[in-house]
Formats: sequence, structure tokens, C-alpha cells
Amino acid sequence: MNKLGYALRRNPAAAVGLVALAAWVVVALVGPSMLRFGHTAMDMESQLSAPGLNGHALGTDALGRDILARIVYGSRSILSVALLTSLFSSIAGVALGFSAGYFGGKIDAAFMRFLDILMAIPPLVLSMVVLGALGDSSVGALTLIVSIAYTPATARVARSALLSCKGLEYVDAARLRGESHAYIMFVEILPNAIGPILVEVTARFAYSIMMIASLGFLGVGLQPPTPDWGMMVIENKTVIREAPWAVLYPSLAIASLVIAVSLISDFLAKVLIHDE
Amino acid sequence: MTNKPLLSVRNLSVRFPSPDGDVVAVRDLSFDLGRRETLGVIGESGCGKSTLSYAIMDYLSPGARRSGAVLFKGQDLLLKSEREMREIRGNRIAMVYQNPYSALNPSLTIGEQLDEVSRAHRGLGKEAAREASLGTLRELSLGDPEGVARRYPHQISGGIQQRVCIAMALLCRPDIMILDEPTTALDVTTEAVILDIVAGLKERYDMSMIYISHDIGIVNKVSDRVAVMYRGEIVEHGPQERIYERPEHPYTRALINCMPRAGVKKESTTLNTIPGYVKRRSADEDGCPFAERCVKRAPGCEDDYGLAEQEPGHFAACGRAYADERPWTREAEAAASATGAEPAPAGADERIAPAAEGGTEPLLSLRGVGKFYRNQKKTVRALDGVDFDVFKDDVLGVVGESGCGKSTAGHVIAGLAAADRGSISFDGGEIAGSWRRRDRRALREVQLIFQNPGRSLNPSFSVQAILERPLKKLLGVKDPAERRRRAVEMLRKVDLGEEYLSRRPRRLSGGEKQRVALARAFLSSPKLLVCDEATSALDVSVQASVLNLLNELQAESGASYLFISHDLNVVNYVSDHVLVMYLGRVCEYGRRDEVVTPPYHPYTEALLSAAPEVDPARRDKPIRLKGSPPDPTRPIRGCPFAGRCHKKIGPVCDETPPPRLALSATHHIYCHLQAEGLQGAVRL
Amino acid sequence: MASLVLKKLGGMALTLVAMSLVIFMLVELIPGDAAQRILGQSATPEAVASLREAMGLDDPALARYARWAGGVLRGDLGESAYMRGVRIADIFWRRVGASMTLAAASFLIFVPLSIFFGVLAGIRAGRLSDSVISFFGLATMALPEFVSGILLMALFSVRLKLLPIASMIPMGESLWQNLDILVLPALSVTFVMFGYVSRMQRSAMIGVMKSDYVRAAVLKGLPRRRVIFRHALKNALLPTVTVIGMNMGWLFGGLIVVETLFGYPGLGSLTLSAVKTLDLPLIEACVLFITAVYVVSTTATDLLYGFLNPRIRFSGGAYE
Repeated sequence: MNKLGYALRRNPAAAVGLVALAAWVVVALVGPSMLRFGHTAMDMESQLSAPGLNGHALGTDALGRDILARIVYGSRSILSVALLTSLFSSIAGVALGFSAGYFGGKIDAAFMRFLDILMAIPPLVLSMVVLGALGDSSVGALTLIVSIAYTPATARVARSALLSCKGLEYVDAARLRGESHAYIMFVEILPNAIGPILVEVTARFAYSIMMIASLGFLGVGLQPPTPDWGMMVIENKTVIREAPWAVLYPSLAIASLVIAVSLISDFLAKVLIHDE
Repeated sequence: MTNKPLLSVRNLSVRFPSPDGDVVAVRDLSFDLGRRETLGVIGESGCGKSTLSYAIMDYLSPGARRSGAVLFKGQDLLLKSEREMREIRGNRIAMVYQNPYSALNPSLTIGEQLDEVSRAHRGLGKEAAREASLGTLRELSLGDPEGVARRYPHQISGGIQQRVCIAMALLCRPDIMILDEPTTALDVTTEAVILDIVAGLKERYDMSMIYISHDIGIVNKVSDRVAVMYRGEIVEHGPQERIYERPEHPYTRALINCMPRAGVKKESTTLNTIPGYVKRRSADEDGCPFAERCVKRAPGCEDDYGLAEQEPGHFAACGRAYADERPWTREAEAAASATGAEPAPAGADERIAPAAEGGTEPLLSLRGVGKFYRNQKKTVRALDGVDFDVFKDDVLGVVGESGCGKSTAGHVIAGLAAADRGSISFDGGEIAGSWRRRDRRALREVQLIFQNPGRSLNPSFSVQAILERPLKKLLGVKDPAERRRRAVEMLRKVDLGEEYLSRRPRRLSGGEKQRVALARAFLSSPKLLVCDEATSALDVSVQASVLNLLNELQAESGASYLFISHDLNVVNYVSDHVLVMYLGRVCEYGRRDEVVTPPYHPYTEALLSAAPEVDPARRDKPIRLKGSPPDPTRPIRGCPFAGRCHKKIGPVCDETPPPRLALSATHHIYCHLQAEGLQGAVRL
Repeated sequence: MASLVLKKLGGMALTLVAMSLVIFMLVELIPGDAAQRILGQSATPEAVASLREAMGLDDPALARYARWAGGVLRGDLGESAYMRGVRIADIFWRRVGASMTLAAASFLIFVPLSIFFGVLAGIRAGRLSDSVISFFGLATMALPEFVSGILLMALFSVRLKLLPIASMIPMGESLWQNLDILVLPALSVTFVMFGYVSRMQRSAMIGVMKSDYVRAAVLKGLPRRRVIFRHALKNALLPTVTVIGMNMGWLFGGLIVVETLFGYPGLGSLTLSAVKTLDLPLIEACVLFITAVYVVSTTATDLLYGFLNPRIRFSGGAYE
């Protein structure tokens, strides 16, 4: 644990990222209970009012809704969906990537070819088409679709992590004990491959946030009344001249969250993979 | 040596910062290098020999600090600017590295990489530079220099790559050439060719050389003077013969004695070892670096310490250890080590007696075993029809160069790869080809030790977990307390204490890791242990202790070994029988003493001739093989060695597979020649 | 090498065919009745049935696929289901051209910039310039395109009023007469690509500078310039080629967002409106094209890599 502290001190950027992420998590958890305005309440007297006026700390949007409240509520949905998608895609990716890499041969070749085909459709396009077609995108659908869209990338990373361990002699030694395939994959190899996988999980988390925000921006993400940062941007794009705060604050919220997670991911990459 | 030294190193120290305080890689080093002189630098890993060369060239990592002086032709290199050093590097002082392939840029042609040296330092134009490059390649006996220059590094073989690197270093006719283990990555026969070239360089080009190696035999072949390094210091240096004949420092002596070499047999001698292991040197450590491992340690040793001239030109940091032995002879030393060392395992003589074969059932039998690897279009013949036996309580040494199939044979026997053809019988019955189909008993009885102990132990497991798993899985020991007890007992057998149980492999030294691997293998009481280059990755002194341990365990348990190695000296020390392989086929098989004395297979003769001899007094007429091993994907109709054999009869060698020729009841080879033609001139 | 080229091209063709099948199946899986959607809720069942027959919706899936694929190969992308009577090809290619121009503009900006800064950061690894470049790369990579777009818009269009907010081409004029509408969208796409590629380039450069052959080059006494430009760069650029190729498809995904933000009349915004209106034939055409771009660019990248890397271009096999 103190090794972690030592490493964090040498990488102040990562410490900043960690703090920022923690701050957002706190906001998501307790923020809503501390708000003055509800996120759907429309204050007809204060439409498009600048930050600070009438008690709206960050201003209001075209419908008079308090921006601060919408950002705080939005943090909940974006964090939870992103977390779920990164977890699901990682678990699925590890299961698939490990199996393909371990068994090799024709299974692996077919798998890689399959991945190539899947990855030819950009994840955003895939998600957009499926979600758009489904119409209503509930949290469940969103999570599922984005997880599926991201699984190939995670599977690739898991596969290469496994391949880098597969040729090592301790795997051979395990075979000479007659160990089962599952034992070798998950007891012998996984603890040593966990570094790159962990980095990938955090990176996926960052990408998921970006994806969800983008989908919201395109109008196929979370639907109202659930506030979505991306949707807030597209809703108020037309009034960017009159009320820039309505698009800037959600944009900055997205930026700060993704940068924070990326800093952490970078830091993990440096620490976990360099440690050879 | 009346002329002024070309290079004079005075009190050179190099320190690196690290989280646990400064580490001293080189400490207070002083030596001279004269004109046309080759200084051999010997040491094990971590002794600082490579750091020394980078310190001279000023190529250390950014945090490193040098102190002292390196006087080259009177000028101190430590004081030179980067620009001045650039004029010296590659020009006046040039370097040749251990791995020639990685030292060459894969994206540039050989020709370009050679030419740029002349163009940068001698200002030659394009054509003149190319002429110079081709000329130097020709001088190094490379046929078709134009062809080589046109190609990329991946298109030429290891031996040629290293000659190219040497040519690169020679282009500006440097004053000093530093060679850092230049043959370690090469096969023995290729190495011999390169060493011949290197030995002739200094006369031909009026150069001095610093030759760094861990192998005394090699250093002896090329050096005039030898310096022995330990933990960043030179503990002894002097003329090459004197160092070998009369080593003054205990470390030098121990190093020489722990190498298996001619005349040293396991039946009569255990190898000398050095207790303990190398620790990193911290900045505030003073005094003798070797004291805590030294057998000749006496009170006051640590402080009263320093290089002193023991006889003219021969300096040692310890004059006290063997002072009472003057005068001293090599024969007396040999006698002392034979009797003074630990007594040979009991019943040693009986084992040489022909009880092992001719009537006794072999433990392991291979008949016509073939193993092929197919990738896309080509088929690599790793094993191409191999027959041999391993007897009970016997050690079969398998020797050959890369591509000969010895490792493949080991893997096939252990069950990691299934043979494509032929049969393997073990302990009277058939044994399944693949580990997947072997039952618990078969898995217990055939085990394997790998070359690289760092990779054969799972870094995430503690030693306890590593040892207890086979107890649980292969031996079905259910009681955790019992498992722990047996693990501790096994650790003791490999000379490791109970405290090792909680450690992870990362915190063990190479030798300790290999001992844990041995413990793991022996837990199941195997009848056959395949040792796949088990000591090749270890330092010389560590190798000695592991070899001793292997012998001990073998004698005690009666297990058989299949000892695979490329190092003839080690195979010779450890084996009862020897198998020589080439390109997937057997060349020669017999009892150890029969194989290393004539008559022998021409390839065996070449191998023996190529192995660097530790004792400089023994120098025989060398046999040098031309070219490199042929392409293993092309099917061979006749003898695999025909293309390079110095005793080739004629077309029959290419067309017809050589018959098996029995030279005695226990010794046979595969050759078209008769016994008279195989007498050879090399004696081990 | 020639055999490699043939193999890759063959693989590419196969992938394209497989992709078209996957896309077709995917779109067909979308629930709901296409004919129903077109006619609306109030349509009579008979009208729906006759439309279904006219559109051939009752034929088996494979037959429909074959019909569609055959059409595509002939250049006939079918008819839009939403905009009745409009042939897709009429509007499609103009949009594609606009998107390709945007992509090309972005490409021309980010490729040289990210390579330059990536190499610079790699050479000066650990120093201040490296930290600055690395952080900038990370930040830009972390911003979704619309975020960087919004920030750029806020700065250049709102504050500074330098560039137009919406990328609209006045009627009768062409894209080439209104190049200023390209700037902000191209920059938005560039940001993310710059971040990603410059980071890859940086780590490739660092890896190469630590290699044994660079060490050997330095110890040959070569001038630093030659070491970097002749020895290091050649090897450090190779992985970047692959990375750029792999991200081309991703770039087209990003175009959707950017075009929507700026109202740029390209393939991306067309795709979005196709999705919103559930215009299945149009969706199929758009997604197929985007995917084809990815497949072709990865194949082209593979071939380029094979050409540039001597280890692949000239087969090995030990000489002598």
C-alpha cells in the first residue's frame, strides 16, 4: 500500500485524477440531496439566466431548468452506466480473449477473424444504429449495447496479455502436473496478466463515459427525464450565443471526468506494466 | 612493457542512484592497457564488467556519476565533452556487443550501417566508404561481401552478423576495441571461428583489445593479461598464464575451480563452489568485497585490503590467502581438490562398470522418433528418426548445437509435445505422447527442469504454494500440515531453509530459484528427470553448486537424468553416457569416456575441438567447420552433417543415410567411415 | 511480398462480403415493421401488406440480401424508405464527398502534427516539453469530439466571431467556395486523433531510443542527428502507420458527432438522420460505406507496413 503512496507522490497528475474522480463519485452519491433545485423543475422566470442569478449557481437552460442540478443528477447515470459497461465488457472480454489465446490454433484464428469483422463497425455507429432502431434506450439496453460494442477491444487486450504469459515455462510446469485448462488460465496466468487487463478496464471506463455522452449528444442515449450531459449539450447548442454556460458546463463536466479517469489509467499503465 | 600504456584507468568509480540509496557498480578500478595488448576481463553477472566499458565510452544512464580518471593517450576521457567523445567513439575506441542481431538496425542495410562509420569519422564519400566496408569484410574472410552489404540483418546468420559488427568496429582502425561477450549468443562451432578471428585482430590491425567474458576458457584463448572482477572491483590482474597457474585471490581460485573441465570427473571430484551469493554494493560499504563468502577469511580481513603486486606484473587484492603455499604447483592443487574437497559419492566406481547396459532393461527407449513442426508451407524437422536409451540410475548427457533437436527430444519425452512418429517406451510399457493423456503416475515419474528459472516459477506464487501444489495434485496429500512438512523437508534437501517458504521468486537469486525448481521436481520422486539446459543460464559459481546438487540428488535417489546442454564441459562432467545430436539425428552414442576419446564421429570431433579450453596449456590443432547449420526445412537424404564434414568421403555422404557403426558393445556412431578413419587428433 | 499482397487483398474482399452480410442482418433484426413505420400508425392493414409486397419485404432474408448486395455492386443503393421515391445514390455520394473532404482535411492536419510532437516528446522524454506534450495529448484524447467541438465553437465562433457556427453551404454554392466551414469540424476531429497518435508515437520513439541498435549507433560516434533521423525514426514510425490505419474507421465514427454538432452536410449527419427516421435502406448504405472505409484502410495500412518493414518485405532465411 505504501508502494502505491510512493508512486502517487512521484506522479502528481495521477493523484489529481484520483481526487477529481473521487469528487465526482461523492457528487453522484450525495449531491442530489444537497441541491436547491430539482433537475426537472422548470423555473419559468429564469430561462437562460446567467450563472449566479436567482440562486442558480450555474445558470439555467432554455426551459428554465437549473444546470447545476442537471449536472449533478447526470453524474449518477453516466458514472453508473459507464462503470457497468466497462465491467461487463471486461469480464466478457477476458473470458473470450483468454480462451482464444489459450487454446490457440483454429479457434484462435477464427476468433481473431471474427473480431476483425466486429471491429470494422465503429462502436459508436453500431450503438447508434441499434439504439436508434430500438427507440427507447433504457439504462439496461444502453449498458448492454455499449458493452457488446466494446467487448472486442477488451478481448484483444486480454488475449495478448494471456499470450505473453502462455509461452512461459511455469505454464509448462503446470501442464506437467496435469492441471486443468481452467486452472492454468485463471490460477496460473491471470494473476500475472492482470496488469494490462486492469489498465484496459480503466481505459474502457473512460471510453464508456465518452461513448455515453456522445450517444446522448446524438439523441439516442438516455432519454428524458434522465439528464444526460451529452443531451444537455445538443439541447442548448442553438442558444450557444445567448447562453454559452448551458453548453459549456456540461462539456467541462464531461471533460474533467474523462481526463481524471485517463490520468488514472495512464498511471496504472506506468506502474503495472513497467514493473517487470 | 616499456612503452607508456595506451589506456590508463585510475580509481574509476561509477555510482547509480536508486530508491534504496546509491549503488556502486564500479569501485576504485585501476589498470593499464598497453599497445597491442589484449586484456581479458572475467567476472560473473553483476560484477560491473559491462558498466566498466560503458563508463569508458561515457554511455551510462542519466543519473550515473563517474569519478576517477580514464587516461587515453594521455587525455582524461571523463573530462571530455559529448562532442569530443563522439569523435572518439567508433573511431579511436570501438565496441562489439553480445547480441549482434539486436545491435544492428533492422531497417537499414548492412552496407549502409558499415558505410556510415567511414563517412562520419573519415569523411569519405559514398563510393570510397563502400569500398572500405567491402574491403574490411573481405579481410574477415567473408565470401561475397557485396551480397552481405546488400542485405538486411535478418537475412544473414548469427556468425556473419557478428563478423559484420567486428568489421564495423575495425573500419576506422581504432586504437582500442572493447568486446563485450561477443560470442555468448553463438553456437560453439561458430564461436570458435569468431574467436580465431578475434585472436588475430590485434596483430593485424595494431590494436589493443579489452575482451569481457564470464568464460575463463574463452578469455584464456584471446588474452595476454587477465583481470578478475567481483562486485565492481578488480580483485586480481596479471599475465594470463600466471592467473591460471597461480591465482592469488580466493575468488579467482574458486572461479577457476568451479568450472568443469578436462580431466575433472564427477566420480572423483565435486566442483568447488562459493558459498552465499552476490549482493549489490551500497555506497558506504568498504573493505574486501569478497570477505563474507571467502573460505580463507581471517580476522582483520575486511579492512586490511587493497591491490598489491604479488609478483612482477601480477596484482591481487589479497596476498594473504595462499601466501603459505609458495612454492605451489598446479598438480598439487589438483590433488588437493580431489581429496580435500568433499568425498565423492559412495559406490562411484561401481557406476562406471558396464552394469548399465547389455542385458539390463533400459528405463526409457526411443525408437525412430520424429517430430515435425509445420508452419504454412515449410516443415521443420526437429527430430528425424532418433533412437536411444536411458538406463536406470544413469545420466545421459545430450549435447549438440542449436537446431539439433535436443530440447525437442526433452519436451517429447516429458510429454509437452507429442511425437509425430516412432515410439517411446518407459519403464517397460508405452507412455502416452502428450501430458494430457498421461495418468498421475506417469506424470510423477517423468519430470522436467527448465533452463530459465525465472520463467519456470510463477512469480505470483510463494515458494510454499509452488511446492505444495504438486504435493496436492500429483501425490494427493490432503493434510495441509503434512504438505508443509514435506515442502520444508524438500527445501532442506536443496540446501534452502524454512524461511524460503514465504518468499516470492522475485526475491530469490538465480541459483535459489533453480533449487526451488529442483525441489518441486523431486517432490514426486521421479524416475526420470529431464534437465533442459538446467544450468546454462546460471553464473559459473552458481552452476557449480547446482551441478553438485544434481549429482547428489541423483546418487541418493537413483533417478535417471536426461541432461541436455550445449556446453560440452558440463556434459562431460555430469554424464555417464553421452548422446551427440545434429540436425534432428543422432551422430554418436556411448559411455562418456568412449565418446570423448577417439574414434569419434567427425561432428563430435569438431565440437570437442571448438570448446574453449579452460587450461591454457592444452592447445591442439583446431577443426573449424565452414558455414552454418543447414536449413532444417529441407529434407536430407544422406548424412545431415555431410555439407560441413571435414572427413567427407564423397557423394555417398550426401545420398545415403549413414549406417550405424558399432565401435564397442556400448558405443556406436552413424557414419560411412570405418573406425580407422575416425581417430582424429583432438584429445579431451 | 507479392503473395502477401494477394492474400491481403483477398482477405479484404472476404471481409467486405462478410461485413455486408452482418450489416444487412443487423439492420433486418431491428424490430418493427418497416412498411408500417413508413405508412404510419393509421395505415390500413391492406395498405401495409401491399407496400410490403412492393418492397419485397416478405421474401426470405437471403434473397433480400442477394438483391441488395447485387444492387450495391452495380452501384444501385436502392431507394430511401423515408423519402419516398428518392434514389439513395443521388444524395449519398455528394455527402460522402463532403465527409471525405472533411476527413482528408483532418488527416492532413493531425498526421504531421502528431508525428512531430510524438517524436519530440519521445526524444525529450522525462523533460518539461515531454510532460506538456503528453498532457496535452491526454487531454485532447479524453475529450469526446463534440466537447472539443463545443469548446472550439465557443472560442472561435462565439467569442472571437472568426468562423461560422454552422457549417452550411448556401444554395447554389459548392463546398470549395466555403472552405471556412471546414475548419472547426476538422479541428474537432483532429484533437482526438492527435492525442491518440502522438501518444503512440511517443512511446514508440522512447522504445526505439532505448534499443540496442540505437545504443550501437551512438557508440559508433555518429552525430546525434543521424542517430535520430536515420536510425531511430524509421523504426519508430512503423507502429504509427498501423495505429493511424486502425483509427481511420474510428475517425468516421467521430465524423457523425462532429457533423451533427456543426450541421455539416456529410455522411455522418446523413447516417444519424437515417437512424432517426428508421430509413433502413439508407442505414444499410451508410453503415456499409463506413465499414468499407475501415476495411480498405486497414488493408492498405497492412500493405504499407509490409512494404516499409524490411523484415516482411524481404523474406528472411539465413544467408550462407
